[in-house]
Amino acid sequence: MEENKFNSRIRVLQAGILILNIISVMGISTFIYVTIERIRRTYGAREFLNEIQAIVWYPYAKIWLCALLLGFLTLSMVIRDRLFPNNSKVILTSLIADFIACFAIIIELNFNYNGILLLVFSNVIMYVKNGKSRYILAAVAIGSFILADYELLSISYRLYSIQDYIAFYNATLQQYFLSIYNIFISLNVILFVAYCVNIINEQQGNIDEIHGLNEKLHDVNEQLQKYSLMAEKMAETRERNRLAREIHDTLGHTLTGISAGIDACLAIIGTSPDQTKRQLELISKVTRDGIKDIRRSVSELRPDALERFSLEFAINKMVTDINAVSETRVYFDCMVTNLKFGEDEENAIYRVVQEGITNAIRHGQAREIWITVKMEQEDILIQIKDNGIGCKEMKSGFGTKHMKERIRMLNGAVTFDGSDGFIVNARIPIRRGETYD
Amino acid sequence: MKKRKLILMGMILFIVLSAGCFFYRNSHRQIILEFGMFTGSNWDVASANSFKIIDRAIADFEKVHPNVKIHYYSGIAKEDYSEWCARKLLEGKTPDVFMVLDTDFDKFTSLGVMKNLDDLISSDNSFHKEDFFVTALDTGRNGEHQYALPYEVVPTLMFVNKSLLAKEGIAMPKEDWTWEDMDQICQTVTKDTDQNGLLDQFGTYNYSWRDALYTCGGKRYGDDHSQISFTDSRVLNAVKYIKRLSDINQGQSVTQEDFNAGRVAFMPLTFAEYRTYKTYPYRIKKYTKFQWDCITFPADQEGGNISKVDALLIGIGSRTRHETLAWEFLKQLTDTREMQMDVYRYSQGVPALRAVASSQEGVDCLQEDMDEGEQVISSTLLCHVIENGIIEPKLLQYQQVMNLADGEVSKILQENKNVDSSMKIFQRTVSKYLQQQK
Repeated sequence: MEENKFNSRIRVLQAGILILNIISVMGISTFIYVTIERIRRTYGAREFLNEIQAIVWYPYAKIWLCALLLGFLTLSMVIRDRLFPNNSKVILTSLIADFIACFAIIIELNFNYNGILLLVFSNVIMYVKNGKSRYILAAVAIGSFILADYELLSISYRLYSIQDYIAFYNATLQQYFLSIYNIFISLNVILFVAYCVNIINEQQGNIDEIHGLNEKLHDVNEQLQKYSLMAEKMAETRERNRLAREIHDTLGHTLTGISAGIDACLAIIGTSPDQTKRQLELISKVTRDGIKDIRRSVSELRPDALERFSLEFAINKMVTDINAVSETRVYFDCMVTNLKFGEDEENAIYRVVQEGITNAIRHGQAREIWITVKMEQEDILIQIKDNGIGCKEMKSGFGTKHMKERIRMLNGAVTFDGSDGFIVNARIPIRRGETYD
Repeated sequence: MKKRKLILMGMILFIVLSAGCFFYRNSHRQIILEFGMFTGSNWDVASANSFKIIDRAIADFEKVHPNVKIHYYSGIAKEDYSEWCARKLLEGKTPDVFMVLDTDFDKFTSLGVMKNLDDLISSDNSFHKEDFFVTALDTGRNGEHQYALPYEVVPTLMFVNKSLLAKEGIAMPKEDWTWEDMDQICQTVTKDTDQNGLLDQFGTYNYSWRDALYTCGGKRYGDDHSQISFTDSRVLNAVKYIKRLSDINQGQSVTQEDFNAGRVAFMPLTFAEYRTYKTYPYRIKKYTKFQWDCITFPADQEGGNISKVDALLIGIGSRTRHETLAWEFLKQLTDTREMQMDVYRYSQGVPALRAVASSQEGVDCLQEDMDEGEQVISSTLLCHVIENGIIEPKLLQYQQVMNLADGEVSKILQENKNVDSSMKIFQRTVSKYLQQQK
């Protein structure tokens, strides 16, 4: 609603400037022609020549030329406003064409009227939103407006003056004509200023609005960050609770059962070995069930890829993902035919590879990473090698520490070498045949 | 694809054809060249042949350029010509080639109405500036630029009443006579012949301080044409000389009647008047009571026997659409032997071309109209007078100042004022006036 009101006001002002300029330009050219005809009719031509500084060449043709140029200006405005309001190429071309047409009119009128420039400026202000080019255009506009001044140019160029033509009439008429001439010039400036004020107001409004929105956005962002932190904490707590519950439900339940069963065994082992044996069998079953339960719980905590795919596929997927999202190239070479181990081993291998890649990218700024997995006797060897900056002195950072811990848990060993790129060598003994199935 | 090619071919063919038509039409279209001229003589003497020269020139030109037609309005009197030109200018229909009056030249050039001929002159190998009298060419200059070419030249000469001098037993003055000579002759001839107590025979009529100034090497304008010095010793000398001559008349004023009755010895006269009144039919209408002739002006010690030179100028409109043709026609009028000879034949001035002016054929032309036994001014003398003549600046301001000076000098003569102090006061008035004009 507000926008529409503003637009219609701007349009009215613009049309006002256009109409005023058409009246002024046509008025001046027609006035000159009529005056010349009058001079010719009264046989005062030679005397009149003494009073003027320059001749108006082809006064009649000038009227038509001015009308033509004004028609062009109007047409270009209509085309720009109505047909291509969003095509920047058309707008720029038409604005430049307007400027040229304007100057043609000013030259035709020998700089007696430069108000027509204001028409072009009003269009420029409307369309050029870019800050820098706007300043340049403003400078050009002000410069040309000042330079296109009759008084200034008539010093060095031969220009005719409308005042000389007005001076042909008697004193009363002269005053009328001069007043009309000046009123039109002033009115044009006033309209232009009003137009500018409107535009500036509108844009000031826009800027304030943007400022307000920006602040709001900032607040919301901060809130969002708090929420996310809170959500993280909550997830952590929920996860802990679940773990606790899980341990309580499965491990606690099983262990309680086992300890109760074993207590019973202890009580009856002297009197009834058979019953004890039956009891122990029962305990063994409970234990197995417990293991199953634990495995299920653990499997719920496994990494996503491992849960669904085989280890090789999971690593491959990780490598592909990294290749896709980062500039670093990762090459994965698996020399083991059946990469299938215990879940904790698979987890460890997966995590070691993940950690290694992360370290190589984050700390080593590596462009290429080579990962090889191979078997040697009963051990599995993992090598992660990169062409990054490496490091002369090993610092036990978070990444390497985690890796070490993981592998030590599996009775394996890991070595690091940062002399040429960075190399991680991990050796993990595999528990062959030791399965839970 | 084929269709598009066909359309393209059609369009090219159309463009070529229309261009061809356009050029054909243009090259075969009759060009009309507008010529602005006035009827009668520029020198305010009767002239019956003003169209004869132009018509001949036009006929010659149209013969060489078959697709060109030259149009002029006949019947514009000299006094209306300035207004006619101005009206044409305001209308935007400036003639392509037109005569320019002295009074218009400065205004027209400053309005940019007249074409600057410098480029045309320098690019035309067949045109030689040197062929013209320097003074005549200079009349068509404004500042550094040539805006018009002289068509005919008219120097001012000194009319001598031969009968009167013979009666007083005075020999005809030589060509290099001096102020002193003229002063003496004036003193001798000025007398009361019928003993009625009033002088009835005089030395000079219409001889002004300006004529005296030209012959004493004086220059009122500085080189920059902006300063007039009326306190210059030569100006003072000229005014003093005039005062001396005037004093001889004992306060009595000389009239045209006295002159016509043959009672005055000297009067400045233009060459045009000389030719008109020396030849039939005007010979029998004016100055019939006495024998007369023309000689140069008397000179002061430092000056020469020179006088004012006027020229009729022809220029080209600055907005002409046929610049080359206009230039050709302008040359036809001013720079061809045949046309310039016609000036001798049918007009009253002297050709602007030096070679034509001094040619035997020209002298014969002059002689033809004269009475048997009349001495014609020798062409060498004529050329000398023109070549060294004085051109008055055409600036409106200059004319105004000189008119003021004329008034001041006549006041000095009438009221018998002191020349030095009067001119000093006058100089101050002029300076103030010029300051305001700037």
